[in-house]
Amino acid sequence: MNNPDDKHGHGVSDDSAVVWRWLHRLVEPAFLFTVVALLVLAVIWGTTLNLVVMERETADRTAMALAADTADTYEAQVVRALREIDTTLKLVHYSLDDRPAQVVLEELRDLGMLPPELLFTVSVADSRGNVIASTPEASPSQRNVAEYDFFQRAHEEAGMVLGLPQRNQETGEWQLFFSRHARARDEGLAVIVAVSVQAGYFVSGYDSDVLGEDGVLALLGTDGIFRIKRTGDQLSVGTTVDYSAMVPASGAIGGPVAVKVNPWDETRRYTVTRELFEFPVAIVVGLSEAERLAEAEQSEQTYLWYATLASLLLLAILSLLGRLSWRLQRTQSRIMEERVDHARRVEYLAFHDNLTGLPNRAYFTRLLTQGMQHSRRYGKRQALLFLDLDRFKAINDSLGHDAGDDLLKEMGKRLSGAVRESDVVARLGGDEFVVLIPEVIDESQVTVVADKILAAVSLPFTLVGQEFRITVSIGIAMFPQDGEDEQTLMKHADVAMYHAKEQGKNNAQFYSTQLSTDSLERLALESSMRKALENREFRLYYQSKQDMLTGRVTGMEALLRWQHPDLGLIAPMQFIPLAEENGLIVPIGRWVFNTACRQNVEWQMQGFPPLSMAVNLSARQFLDEHLLGDIKTTLEETGMAPELLELEITESMMMLDMPRTVRILKDLKRMGVRIAIDDFGTGYSSLSKLKDFPLDTIKIDGSFIQDLVNSAEDRSLTEAIIELGKSLGLTVVAEGVESIEQADYLRVHSCDQFQGFYINMPMPATEFEMSMRDQFRRFEDSNPSE
Amino acid sequence: MRIRLTSSVLGLFLALIVGSASAEVVVVVSAQNPTESLTRAQLTDIYLGRLNRFPSGESVTPIDQREGATAHRLFYRDYLGQTPAQIKAHWSKLIFTGRGQPPRSVADDSAMADTVAASPDALGYLDSTYLDSAEVGDRLRVVVIE
Repeated sequence: MNNPDDKHGHGVSDDSAVVWRWLHRLVEPAFLFTVVALLVLAVIWGTTLNLVVMERETADRTAMALAADTADTYEAQVVRALREIDTTLKLVHYSLDDRPAQVVLEELRDLGMLPPELLFTVSVADSRGNVIASTPEASPSQRNVAEYDFFQRAHEEAGMVLGLPQRNQETGEWQLFFSRHARARDEGLAVIVAVSVQAGYFVSGYDSDVLGEDGVLALLGTDGIFRIKRTGDQLSVGTTVDYSAMVPASGAIGGPVAVKVNPWDETRRYTVTRELFEFPVAIVVGLSEAERLAEAEQSEQTYLWYATLASLLLLAILSLLGRLSWRLQRTQSRIMEERVDHARRVEYLAFHDNLTGLPNRAYFTRLLTQGMQHSRRYGKRQALLFLDLDRFKAINDSLGHDAGDDLLKEMGKRLSGAVRESDVVARLGGDEFVVLIPEVIDESQVTVVADKILAAVSLPFTLVGQEFRITVSIGIAMFPQDGEDEQTLMKHADVAMYHAKEQGKNNAQFYSTQLSTDSLERLALESSMRKALENREFRLYYQSKQDMLTGRVTGMEALLRWQHPDLGLIAPMQFIPLAEENGLIVPIGRWVFNTACRQNVEWQMQGFPPLSMAVNLSARQFLDEHLLGDIKTTLEETGMAPELLELEITESMMMLDMPRTVRILKDLKRMGVRIAIDDFGTGYSSLSKLKDFPLDTIKIDGSFIQDLVNSAEDRSLTEAIIELGKSLGLTVVAEGVESIEQADYLRVHSCDQFQGFYINMPMPATEFEMSMRDQFRRFEDSNPSE
Repeated sequence: MRIRLTSSVLGLFLALIVGSASAEVVVVVSAQNPTESLTRAQLTDIYLGRLNRFPSGESVTPIDQREGATAHRLFYRDYLGQTPAQIKAHWSKLIFTGRGQPPRSVADDSAMADTVAASPDALGYLDSTYLDSAEVGDRLRVVVIE
């Protein structure tokens, strides 16, 4: 963290950072939603489970209480029923006296002192087990009870005997027999009084509203044998269990309720077992745990179901919210990304040239400044190469800006390809490129790079479906010796570049102090050139052209000179390129036309024969859209005959944009103006295309003529050019003829006309005029007939 | 379904024929008792220990015949629509839980006739043929069960 406190208290700020990070995370939707979801889920499930536990506990308590109540009631009922039976046994016992037993029973019955006959049978058996009295009448299979356990045990036990369950063979019912021994005088020593009752009587109080379908109500003998047991509507007798395990021997009245698995049917029940105080029997009451808790479980299920539903709903809502917030967040982050991208793009555009993608001037300045700092620190040298495309303006003007842009793009690629990765290529604007080479050890390194660039640029380009060649001029300034700051270094590289241009373009030049001086001259030249037109400092010099055979003057070429007030006479090659660059060539050219034409007309009016007037066009002039208009106006204003005007264009100009050149030339021809190719032989023009141009004259470049006598190559070239001109029906003019040998040779080889020092130097109008007059006079003298 | 329905209708029909032909149980009171009719529900309630007064407001003592007697079986079947076992279970529960005692029972039609005739609050039942054969018409009144 960029916290000023850092220096003073690391621990504190670290802690607060952690806290802050946590707080920040807390408000993150994903985290927040999760926490909320967990909390609400905890509440839902906590409440639900609590309710479930409470429900279960309530059900449990209710069941316990119910079991205890039921046991109390049942115990009371059983005790009463058994007492009634015992009372009956005792009543019969004591009523027997000495009377016949049957009589006694019937008497008691009629008195309503016996239990209802519908359920109870009271009988008396003699010592051999024969039933001697019974009401109602004993069923046939029970007329002798000697084999029954109650009969045998009644002789031995003092109290009421509770016999094992017996099945009545006639009715199929299970019966319970209760017996006591008694004495009857007429029947010998002992009789047994018995009461039998349907076993189901003791469990007829089974109320399914209370005990359900799986509760239990039972009488269990202390011998562990169930006298009767009822579950739902199912009665059973005789099942044996471990009595001591079933009945707690606590002796406490009102045994506790315990939930236990009943061994006879493996069912869990709230079970109460109580041994009766006065009878050898225990009651068993059981409430099915499953039944008792069914309702609670139902509720539990409902609660759980609701809780689940609520949870799902909650999760659904939260996940929906989460999703929404996630999308919101994503949208926000996308907007942020877009902003960042935009900012990056803006920054990129601010520091890059959007045409070539190279660093722009601002960025380059920064890089250069940084590079210089670095170089200064480590004592390194670096080179700054300043590049300017030759003739770019001409291409841009003739082919349009799109083509110019394409060219610049291609340039950018080629430059980047020609230098190392660590070198910086930038475009400063227009056709100006710079290359920065950091860490230069030897200047030869830089030369190698410059040569590579020159080679890369000189490869042909294809623009608008045509092939072009372009060259570049490179100025090199070294850091630190050529400048210790960016401005100086750039300026000096620029100066070196101009020097390269002056050196004929397509080359690289290192800066030197001398150049700077020249450059200063150039600057002065440029500023004074602007005033030169106004101050009438330009002059036209004329050089005559002669017919090869007759020697007659056929015309002249107008040549521009600048009579500079301080520098004296300046040759065109010293200022024309400058004028081309700054555009002054157009008004200057216009002045040249005007002056030349006016002069020509003037001479004719003075009586000169019609002489042709050749005027040179520079590239920029030739492509200027006002050219035709300007020439037309000039011809009209001066009254010059168009056929006497000959426009000279260089071979290289012609080849720059051939279709356009052809178009312009045709327009000129239509006006009646003659066209000449200047410096023919120096360009790369395809001879086969020469016939496509509407030409009148070919001018053989002076360089061929110069070595004509010595160089066989130049001779054959010259001959070939003459031959070509002839075959195309053109006038062939040789330039720069300086000797009689050259003139003779040309004459032999049928050259039409020539010009050069051999005849005369270029001279001002007045001198030329005098020279002409002399010549005419001489000519007339030597050819009086004409 | 159709067969079962047919057979049950047939059975009912046969039972009616047999019932009317052989034995019919009638409900009787003492000639001194003014009761002439009882609804089937009233009769049922009285015999199951749920009602202890005649519609007139006089107390009633229902008299039963012994289990096993034909009249007993027919009475409970025809008037209460219950089997002797059901009746026994009913009273078994009432006696055990101490909420009632079954009607006193007599041995046969003759005992029934004597018992009912002797007590103005008694209500009983017996075979109609006995009523016709024994000249007891003036001592007993047949109660119409609606």
